[in-house]
Amino acid sequence: MKRIFLILLFVFPLSLLSASLSYGQVQVRLRVFEASNVGTRIDSSLKDMRDQFKPLVDFSSYRLLKEETPTLYLNQSVSSPAHPGRKIELTLIRQHKNVADVRVKIQREEIDVLNTQVRLSPGRTISIGGPKHGEGVIIITLSAQF
Amino acid sequence: MTDSCSSVSKLLEKYFDREVTDKERLLVESHLQSCLTCRDTLMSMEGLRTFIKAPVEEAVQQEDFPWVWQKIDREIRSQEKGSWWQSLRSWMGLSPLFKKKVWIPAVATIATLLFISTQVIFKKIPSYSERSVVEYIESETYNIMVYESEKTKTTMIWLFDEEDQESSRS
Repeated sequence: MKRIFLILLFVFPLSLLSASLSYGQVQVRLRVFEASNVGTRIDSSLKDMRDQFKPLVDFSSYRLLKEETPTLYLNQSVSSPAHPGRKIELTLIRQHKNVADVRVKIQREEIDVLNTQVRLSPGRTISIGGPKHGEGVIIITLSAQF
Repeated sequence: MTDSCSSVSKLLEKYFDREVTDKERLLVESHLQSCLTCRDTLMSMEGLRTFIKAPVEEAVQQEDFPWVWQKIDREIRSQEKGSWWQSLRSWMGLSPLFKKKVWIPAVATIATLLFISTQVIFKKIPSYSERSVVEYIESETYNIMVYESEKTKTTMIWLFDEEDQESSRS
């Protein structure tokens, strides 16, 4: 009985600590792809993207260049090279329940191409597009996995 | 009244209350057979008892004894129970788990955890609006447009080159 009590005494603070740690972290899905109107090739992992983009911008071809699922920790930046010659930096600013505020910085040769803060929630995709790449444009999508 | 009367009269009250020994009872009864004075005294005692008994019984019938008993019972129970603090102390004293070596750190840990929990729970939580997906946005090199589609839960940030804008204007 005494042993059980002592185990509980240590397990409870540990579980509380782990809960508080998971509260300040979020896993995001980062996809970099090229969208164009040349051809009709759509990578299988981007079929959902086409449906989402159709009301906004309609491309006939979607080609995946890169996919990552980094875990963001509160106020810690994660950098990843993004095609072409750009660097994307993600920082978790705040997290509350199933909502995460993430700062997104895209840099090219130390120049801030983009500096923004977005709110990720379940099912929401944030896409950043526009820079020309070949015949099409580069699109970066960001979503959180809660 | 004879000499023996004075000795018997001392026993007479005890006899009347049935508190005498067998030997005393025999002595009183043999004396009563021969002594009219003592018999009268005994009869007057009985008369007095009858005289008192009737009004006492009447008073008893009128009295609310269940209520009195409840009150007494409550008093007895409250004395038996003791204070909650005494109960707690005796329980802690009995249980080997709650010896000072264990429960003082345990209480300290629980108090610390409660303090941390309240800090987390009652921390001012910013209100999150589902509408403002993009908190702020800036670019040194591009013009920006933000499209939002609530239907597909998509937010698109579109970066325009100067050339794009020129071409779109012409």
